Amino acid sequence: MSNLDLAQSGHMHAGASTKRRATDDIWTVSKELPIFIGVVAAIALAIYLLSGQFFYLNLLTMALLFGGLAVSWNIIGGFGGQFSIAHSVFFAIGAYTAGNLYKHFDISPWISILPAMVLSAAVAAVVSWPVFRLRGPFFAIATMALTEVAIAFAMHWKTVTGGASGLTIPYRAGLENMIFTQRWAYAALFLGYLAATLVVSIVILRSRLGYYLQAVRDNDKAAEASGIPIMRTKLKGMAISAALTGVGGVFFMMYVRIVEPAGLLSLFDVGVKIALIALIGGIGTIYGPLLGALILVPLDYWLRAFIGSAIPGGNLIVLGIILILGSLYMKKGVFGALKQGYAAWRPKR
Amino acid sequence: MGFHTDIAMDQFFNVVALGLLLGGTYALVSVGLNLIFGVIRIVNFSQGEFLMLGMYGAYLGYTTMGLDPYAGAFIVVPALTVLGMIIYWLVMRPLQNEPMMQVFASFGLLLLIQNIVLAITGGVGMSMNTPFSQITLTIAGIQFSATRLIILLASMVAAGALGLYLAKTTFGQAIRAVAQDRKAAQLMGINVERTFMWSFGIGTGLAGLAGVLLTPIYTLSPQIGGNFVMAAFAVVVLGGLGSVLGAFVGGFIVGLTEAFAGYYIDPELKHAVIFIVFIAVLLIRPSGLFGQAGAEEVGLREQS
Repeated sequence: MSNLDLAQSGHMHAGASTKRRATDDIWTVSKELPIFIGVVAAIALAIYLLSGQFFYLNLLTMALLFGGLAVSWNIIGGFGGQFSIAHSVFFAIGAYTAGNLYKHFDISPWISILPAMVLSAAVAAVVSWPVFRLRGPFFAIATMALTEVAIAFAMHWKTVTGGASGLTIPYRAGLENMIFTQRWAYAALFLGYLAATLVVSIVILRSRLGYYLQAVRDNDKAAEASGIPIMRTKLKGMAISAALTGVGGVFFMMYVRIVEPAGLLSLFDVGVKIALIALIGGIGTIYGPLLGALILVPLDYWLRAFIGSAIPGGNLIVLGIILILGSLYMKKGVFGALKQGYAAWRPKR
Repeated sequence: MGFHTDIAMDQFFNVVALGLLLGGTYALVSVGLNLIFGVIRIVNFSQGEFLMLGMYGAYLGYTTMGLDPYAGAFIVVPALTVLGMIIYWLVMRPLQNEPMMQVFASFGLLLLIQNIVLAITGGVGMSMNTPFSQITLTIAGIQFSATRLIILLASMVAAGALGLYLAKTTFGQAIRAVAQDRKAAQLMGINVERTFMWSFGIGTGLAGLAGVLLTPIYTLSPQIGGNFVMAAFAVVVLGGLGSVLGAFVGGFIVGLTEAFAGYYIDPELKHAVIFIVFIAVLLIRPSGLFGQAGAEEVGLREQS
């Protein structure tokens, strides 16, 4: 896809400057590859080492899932600068699509990935279109409203969601059903999901869409004046981001095998958490959201176990403070802070 | 036949009455948000939490000092105004030119305030009966609770007072000037940050007032703010950003919509109906019913 875009840009512009930029791009993508392989290999090694440790393996699996979700969110939230707190809705759409197709029609979740992606992207586009016409903060408000509506629908539409008591799917182990007896297989599955979102993220960042999204984020008026179709760019970014989030929902459904609206669509536990993970890790970077998930998911678990059990809501008090301090002092996240620290340290050598 | 239509008409008028009273509640809740979101353009998701704090403040005054909630308002509202000003100064002011970070920070405030109250109260639902909460008035065969009527009245007073304040006083004009063009206002010698701080404080104080007046009606819970904040955003967008009259009328439109949707469609789906109204307004008339055309286009970025 990136090559195609490069070829297109090569056709559209002429001259030596284009050639130089094109070689720059190829250099960057190929430079991205060793880091990507290194990161995936390191996580695979961690899964192998933890394969006997049930507790830590489970924690890693959840971190990988939320890492993938945050990487997906980052495509529209980070590259495009459109902060959504409604990604829980696409997550839920993915879960309900896979769950229902598997339960009632015996369709393999591997096949359900496609309808889940299409449905998530369609809902995202329909909801985003009216708000993307406006500038300013309407998008964030609309996404918050969307979450409320989704909860109301999920509670109401019992044949699909099972209402408040939830949707359960039968346990039939097998690769074709995406249900495994070995826990490490799930970790590997979510590593695959994370890797896929990272690849999409890398390709988009180095493609025309990625540059468009960043231009819209940095200055939408200048972007429009330069002939960038703002609306189409934002919608594309949102649809891709929502589709990838929906895939996460499919995998999650097969992992837990029971989902209920309160947990799946919880504004904090999913919607805001995804955005918070990206914020903590580093919005707009490729590996920042993954880093955020590896930090925040264990931290969240720890806070829940040790503070939340002693003081009701204590864990959320801490996360609220992290959210406020993060938005005040760590806008670039841990990834940005590390980069800054490295840059400050390097010249001294 | 005639008998059946009579019943249907009775139900219809009951739903209208319910919608109007609910509308009064939404109008009151939205007046404060209108100042914060409509005028100074801060997306404050924690607005509902100030309402919740208002409720708990009234409850505290009632249980510790035996204060009637309506008397307690004279302590609670100024306290929440000051709290709002402090929060503006510490959290929102440093993020002035970063609307998205403000969204994050206000969500952090929401979590923080909500869960501090949860930790203190242990999440036990509380309710209280005041001398007013039992009184109902019957007008033309339809029953109205006195507490709801007081809210309706208060929403009119609050909207009227805020509208007059913004239109007539020097400080009100300063708020409007800052909302229109921050740089020009600063050049005219207006202290922009102080104006914003006061606007934010007045907005949170009004949310507290709404909370106090809602105490006799609703069971107190740390999460109750969420019931109103989404409707309030819908009201402000519907009425038109910055338009006090719009927020007032918008409150009644949303209240009536919710009452009708709850009665004739399904109570579970009333939130969905509000959202559809919200989206429809953005599609048809993004500046709201009473907003200046183009008001919604005043992006936050140009104000930097």
